[in-house]
Amino acid sequence: MDKQSVQVIIETLKEEGIDLAVTLPEEPTFSLTEAMREDPFFQAVTVAGEGNGLAFCAGAALGGRRVVFVTGIAGLLVGTWALSQMGMVYGAPILILASYRGDFGDHSGIPGSQLLMFKQVAEPLLGALRVPYRIVNQKATLKRMIQEGSFACQDYSHPIVLLLSGEVLW
Amino acid sequence: MLAVTSLSINAPFWFNVRPQGPNFFALNMGLCLPFALGLSVAFPKRKVIAIDSDGSLMNDSSSLITVADVNPANLVAFVMDNGSYAFMSSTFTTRKTDLAKMAQGAGIANASTVKTLEEFSAAAKQAMESAGPTLIVAKVERDAGRVSADRSRTSGRPMREWFMDAVRRHPDYQGGR
Repeated sequence: MDKQSVQVIIETLKEEGIDLAVTLPEEPTFSLTEAMREDPFFQAVTVAGEGNGLAFCAGAALGGRRVVFVTGIAGLLVGTWALSQMGMVYGAPILILASYRGDFGDHSGIPGSQLLMFKQVAEPLLGALRVPYRIVNQKATLKRMIQEGSFACQDYSHPIVLLLSGEVLW
Repeated sequence: MLAVTSLSINAPFWFNVRPQGPNFFALNMGLCLPFALGLSVAFPKRKVIAIDSDGSLMNDSSSLITVADVNPANLVAFVMDNGSYAFMSSTFTTRKTDLAKMAQGAGIANASTVKTLEEFSAAAKQAMESAGPTLIVAKVERDAGRVSADRSRTSGRPMREWFMDAVRRHPDYQGGR
């Protein structure tokens, strides 16, 4: 993720009052999570597993904090159990920014069979979990998508996923 | 004080102890401790207690590492270790696994195991009066805590709404900014 995308995301999260940033570092979003860690506006938390990360986000969010969870498709797969519980069962308003590994344009060099798996699994998985999502692959729409995602997750009281791809991510 | 419990025995047990106030009951396997950790970050000036179980904690023991790293002074975790999954079978704590040592290894310095009511009372009193995070593994009898409770208050969305109502009334609540 380049500096322009990082800057837009950070500025928009600040405007939305989202000041708790939770992540388990992954390569495509590393520049974003590092920038959050260095910015005193954010309370940046690194978790040891995506499942406990999502449960942590839910406790904070239902306790009144505005929270963003930064992860990737692999992280969502690992955190499926927690996401199903914190979404369908408890309606925790968590904004999730996830790198869309395996989407067209992923030239990261990881094996194609992995990329294909992510591409085939990601959106059906979110559909099965009844987690609303949008693919954000144009910088021109990035700010508005974060604003709308933030509003929707509070309004629905439910996790919302923005799948980052295209020129926003690569 | 805010409280979070795992499911099965701990939820009705805690409901009988404190039915009112900000209680989040019956989180499923592996989710109690990290949810309580999140709540502790939302309410940094209040004690947040997790009433977890051996089976639940073992389901996602990496949450111990996250707790140690966040290092919240206001979090007290009680792990009610009855050595079984509810009333079924036996867990690993009846064999080789020591959850307090795992917590210490993860970086939670204040982690201990208590085996009597007197030890529990002393450890709990100290934990509530001092800075944490603290984790207390309480060895309990398999069926000792089995009581009944109103399920509409201790599970699912109705419970969640009771919790949210109590939390929104809390003077430290930061939501709605």
